[in-house]
Amino acid sequence: NVSDGPADRMKCSRFLLQLVRSGRTAAQRGSLLLSPSSGQQFRCSPASAKSQPEHVRFVNDNDTKKTKSLVTQEDLFEQVAKESKTKATFNQVIDVFTKRDIRRRGHVEFIYAALKKMPEFGVERDLTVYNKLLDVFPKEVFVPRNFIQRMFNHYPRQQECGVQVLEQMESYGIMPNIETKVLLVQIFGEKSHPIRKYQRIMYWFPKFKHVNPFPIPQPLPEDAVDLAVLSLTRIANDLDAKTTVYQLPFTDITESGEEISFPHIVGIQSPNQMELLAKHNPNRPVFVEGPFPLWLKKTCVYYYILRADPTPPEEKEEEVYDPERCFYYPLQLDLDLDRDLGDEENFDVDDLDEGPVFAMCMTSRGDQTTLNQWISGLQQNNPILGRIPTLFRLDAGTRELEGVADTEAGHSHRPHPQSQREDGPPAEDPEVAVEEEKPRRSQGMKQ
Amino acid sequence: MSLPTISRVPASGLLRSIRDLRWLLRSIAPLATPRRALTQMGYRRPGQPREDKPPWWRVKFDLSKGLKGMKRHFTLLKEEFFAQFIGPMGKPIIEHMLEQNQVLWEFRGPHSLQEWTISCDREIGGKSEIYLKVGRNNETCLLYGTLCSDPPKDGETRYSGYCTMRAKQPLASFDRKRYHDWSSFNTLHLRIRGDGRPWMINVIAETYYTHQKDDMYSYFLYTRGGPYWQDVKIPFSKFFLAHRGRVQDDQHELWLDKINAIGFTLGDKADGPFQLEIDFIGVCKDYAHTEDFAYEKYKRNPEV
Repeated sequence: NVSDGPADRMKCSRFLLQLVRSGRTAAQRGSLLLSPSSGQQFRCSPASAKSQPEHVRFVNDNDTKKTKSLVTQEDLFEQVAKESKTKATFNQVIDVFTKRDIRRRGHVEFIYAALKKMPEFGVERDLTVYNKLLDVFPKEVFVPRNFIQRMFNHYPRQQECGVQVLEQMESYGIMPNIETKVLLVQIFGEKSHPIRKYQRIMYWFPKFKHVNPFPIPQPLPEDAVDLAVLSLTRIANDLDAKTTVYQLPFTDITESGEEISFPHIVGIQSPNQMELLAKHNPNRPVFVEGPFPLWLKKTCVYYYILRADPTPPEEKEEEVYDPERCFYYPLQLDLDLDRDLGDEENFDVDDLDEGPVFAMCMTSRGDQTTLNQWISGLQQNNPILGRIPTLFRLDAGTRELEGVADTEAGHSHRPHPQSQREDGPPAEDPEVAVEEEKPRRSQGMKQ
Repeated sequence: MSLPTISRVPASGLLRSIRDLRWLLRSIAPLATPRRALTQMGYRRPGQPREDKPPWWRVKFDLSKGLKGMKRHFTLLKEEFFAQFIGPMGKPIIEHMLEQNQVLWEFRGPHSLQEWTISCDREIGGKSEIYLKVGRNNETCLLYGTLCSDPPKDGETRYSGYCTMRAKQPLASFDRKRYHDWSSFNTLHLRIRGDGRPWMINVIAETYYTHQKDDMYSYFLYTRGGPYWQDVKIPFSKFFLAHRGRVQDDQHELWLDKINAIGFTLGDKADGPFQLEIDFIGVCKDYAHTEDFAYEKYKRNPEV
């Protein structure tokens, strides 16, 4: 590292100057404070609101003149943070700083402090705030005027500070706009490091903006049911899949007065999955497994699946294509396509057979009663579920899909005869109101 | 994505990070069979005292291990010698010329985990965790753990929170470096099952100069999540050059004739558990893909 001597001395003197200056400006503002009627504590204007804490500090300084503590630039933010942390107060702090001194002494430290405080005030994704922060730099002072200045990294601290502002913008994924560029050109001139960084951002960000094949809408829906529908359609991997809301969240007040909240239950099933379930051997159980995590940007939601073990090889039957199923094109072709030697498009790997997945669901509370409700809801469209034993494998924490070899110790078993339960829930379940797609075949059962 | 640091600027007590430590993989964490590699000068965490031991201090002198090692090396040497008579790379030449798909890493059993190394930001003092184990039925591998992006409090590090898995360098007899040769392929094919998190695939190619030691060609791997397997095909022309996590200005395409390793990194600043299941990794030749390189090689001094 290069010797820090002169810079440190400069910094110390800068801090001392600021200490003295804060006393002086507070005194100035203290006199101003007397003009508006400041008997009350309400804020009549932003200027007076800002000056109130300054006024207090001035009084303290008068009493304790001997204490010479180092005043950092973050103190401004911290004082404001006691009141409220919003974009407006953040902008006010920046205004206080810019109006304080025409030469903007200590602006580099102020900008670093502001960058650090941005997440607390909640403005880290706001481009206007970044532009306002860049506005703190004095203009045209740091622009190199001849080739020697251009060669020798003119005003390196300020350039590094500008680069750090852009780097924070980049790390939050905010695209700068033309105002940023104009500001940077005015402050640092062309061919400076911040401008180079701006050019790099403008080159790479558009290239990577649409690189996600499964884009997530920003902002995410706040309603839990909408979020569940979004994530289920995402993981279904099938455009024909239909989502069903089996239960909307509501709270019920029982006779004793206590509130029981019921979670939402949203399920999804595609026609392929329905076919697979219809072909499933009723002697073999199906498993309700979960919860599995799914991350959407920064939120983690959990889903449950209904699956079965893969059929053992002796029970596998060849699926015969019915030629009358589709008249537009043949479903099976028996052509010898004359491939070249070695023209092999498949990898030489064994195909993993993990067993079919029949349906997925998402619910906020994953206990057996809720999932039972889901199963009974599924049963409306898949009557075979009434005859298949369902096992629940609900473990907390991250896990992969269970395998065939795992034992079923400690897992609960749903009662085998399902018929008597079928009439109960559909008749008295008033919450199954929202159904977006095809009418349920079991409408007749409801009366 | 920034310049190499303006090193003439003094630190002045401000927080500065010289490198983006997200994709920095230096030390090697022990796997199922702990095996610490002998790195010449491993990464030294800021604040830790320098070790003054001579380099031979770390070598373990053990007779039985030495004998086993000798046996292994000579077996490998013999195999290599006779492989030359079969054809290039030990395969018959017609197969080498015409092959369109090659499975590089197939996770079937615990022995396949020996080829991989995992690391996380625990090396630099962070709080993430990462583990690698065989998936169910010995048929896949599961990379799981927890991500925590609290930076370590050493005054230097600004960003933290990464977890990586990297293939070990293939070694010939007597621990000589061997390279992957993917020059007849142009697409990377993976079969994975993630949990919706965005990962980054890094390919490390062999370089000549020491300045290029941390060069990596990266691209994004977006997982869909869910119970279904996801086939990911990434052409090699899409990989961009990055050095220690910073995308470089001077981009050129990935040269496939000498590849050292491939790696997966997670650093998406979302704290919490993660998991990634991998079935196999292969390369294939996609005749429909004719692009050489996806990024323009633009001017060094562009106009503003």
